[in-house]
Amino acid sequence: MKTDRAENALLVSPGLLLLALAFFLPIARMLALSVMAEEGGFTLAHFAQFVSEPYYLGVLWRTIRLSFIITVISALIGFPLAYIMARSGRRARLWLIIVILLPLMTSVVIRTFGWMVIFERGGIVSSTLYDLGLVKRNFTLMRTETAIVIGMVQVLLPFMTLSILGVITRIDQRLEEAARTMGCSFLQSFRHVVLPLSMPGIAAGSLLAFTLSASSFVTPSLLGGPRLQVLAASIYSSVTQTLDWHFAAAQAVILFLGIALTLIPYFRLTGGRHG
Amino acid sequence: MVKAVPLWLKITTLVFIGLIVVLMLAPLVVVVGTSFSANQFISFPPKGFSLEWYQKVLSSDAYLGSAGLSIAIALMVTLSSVIIGGAAAIAIHRRQLPKSELLGALFLSPLILPTIIYAIGLLMFWSATFGRVSFVTLWIGHTAITLPYVVRTTLAVLTESDPFIEEAARTMGAGRLQRLFFVVLPQCRPGLAAGAFFAFNISFDEAVLSLFLRTPDLTTLPVQIYGQLEFSPDPSVAAVSTIMIALTVLLILVIDRVLGIGKFASA
Repeated sequence: MKTDRAENALLVSPGLLLLALAFFLPIARMLALSVMAEEGGFTLAHFAQFVSEPYYLGVLWRTIRLSFIITVISALIGFPLAYIMARSGRRARLWLIIVILLPLMTSVVIRTFGWMVIFERGGIVSSTLYDLGLVKRNFTLMRTETAIVIGMVQVLLPFMTLSILGVITRIDQRLEEAARTMGCSFLQSFRHVVLPLSMPGIAAGSLLAFTLSASSFVTPSLLGGPRLQVLAASIYSSVTQTLDWHFAAAQAVILFLGIALTLIPYFRLTGGRHG
Repeated sequence: MVKAVPLWLKITTLVFIGLIVVLMLAPLVVVVGTSFSANQFISFPPKGFSLEWYQKVLSSDAYLGSAGLSIAIALMVTLSSVIIGGAAAIAIHRRQLPKSELLGALFLSPLILPTIIYAIGLLMFWSATFGRVSFVTLWIGHTAITLPYVVRTTLAVLTESDPFIEEAARTMGAGRLQRLFFVVLPQCRPGLAAGAFFAFNISFDEAVLSLFLRTPDLTTLPVQIYGQLEFSPDPSVAAVSTIMIALTVLLILVIDRVLGIGKFASA
């Protein structure tokens, strides 16, 4: 038995080494940098800078607000979609999975590019709305929060739907049939049987969508532009433009804390398992 | 038998599915359409038909260079991730190590931490310790974020496999390496394959880590495209993107051949 243990330790050690040196150490470095003064020594000045400037509080508030809206919309679309997928025939389900999987496996940069073409001045959306007489000639959805929301829902819907689908496929279909034979209408059985039983999936999918949305920056910065900055985009510009790494680290810690607070209920919910 | 679903609900369902298909596929369709445009500017619906943007891509050193870098990194990452992650999954599955539950959670942690937080940490750590970021930085970083996928898919396959086969091989006198290579590895194969596809796809499409670690001579394809989008893109960006989409479709077809797409429904 003793040599078995040595064999297993040998198998797991490259991975542990990689995680320790190339994952946890860098994160520790970032945490340290966030509370370090430029000349060395401990300081909370970078956090104070964030909290005292209305601009950054605005960025934080926009991040939270948009992530919330995006999560709610994804859940409202993802739940019925997952239910339809679970209850449709083999062929239909396969096609729906491809419709979800193909974009999921395509780079976010490319999908955002597609939205840029759709939303830009003179693009499909603005010219259609103009033809309908709803907007002025040079209307554009680009650099609006609406554009960010639409783009992000497209990115997060697959995660939401697959989270919920996993739970719905495990619901015993006879429960629904029982509700129906006892006189429930379709919508009543949906409301009183399917929805409560799907709650764990909806909650897990929503928390996942919220954290992914709060930390994404490719889609928000390309569709929202520099004036509608979110926290992740602000971190990126601190790193690449103002070159203030300490402040960037402090912002990353704030994002990290926010996400940790959101994830605690997630682990409570799944009991530490990854659903 | 219960009453059928009412007609209005069926119609609503079909309209709903139609809208979902538009929402999910519109950006991809637009990109593909734009790439064949004869116009100098990006526009959809495209005006005219031409392949000149593909020609431009195939004669552009910037695009070819970053495509080569992306493919090289994705291949290296797939290899390292499958070897390291697969070995770890085998050890974790046997549950003979102390705290194997904790080990499992540890290996999934890169999945939970937002990539942007890891990206900034890796950039700061590498610059302070080794100086300039290089191919190796990107390789290590991508390996760390793809590792959880390989561990997860391999563990999923192993939990369904028969543990007594390895026991039987041991009783019949198979040595340590023989058991590993002739019993355990074949059992892991579908999980390793699925993990390899994920690792390749994620590394090839990854933009956040690559953006933070970009240098003039370390620009992957998604970063190259992102850079073009920040300024004024011409339809050659659409042509590159279309090639990447085609590669994704190809990858999905291969996955379906090897593993069956239907598995994702239950995953």
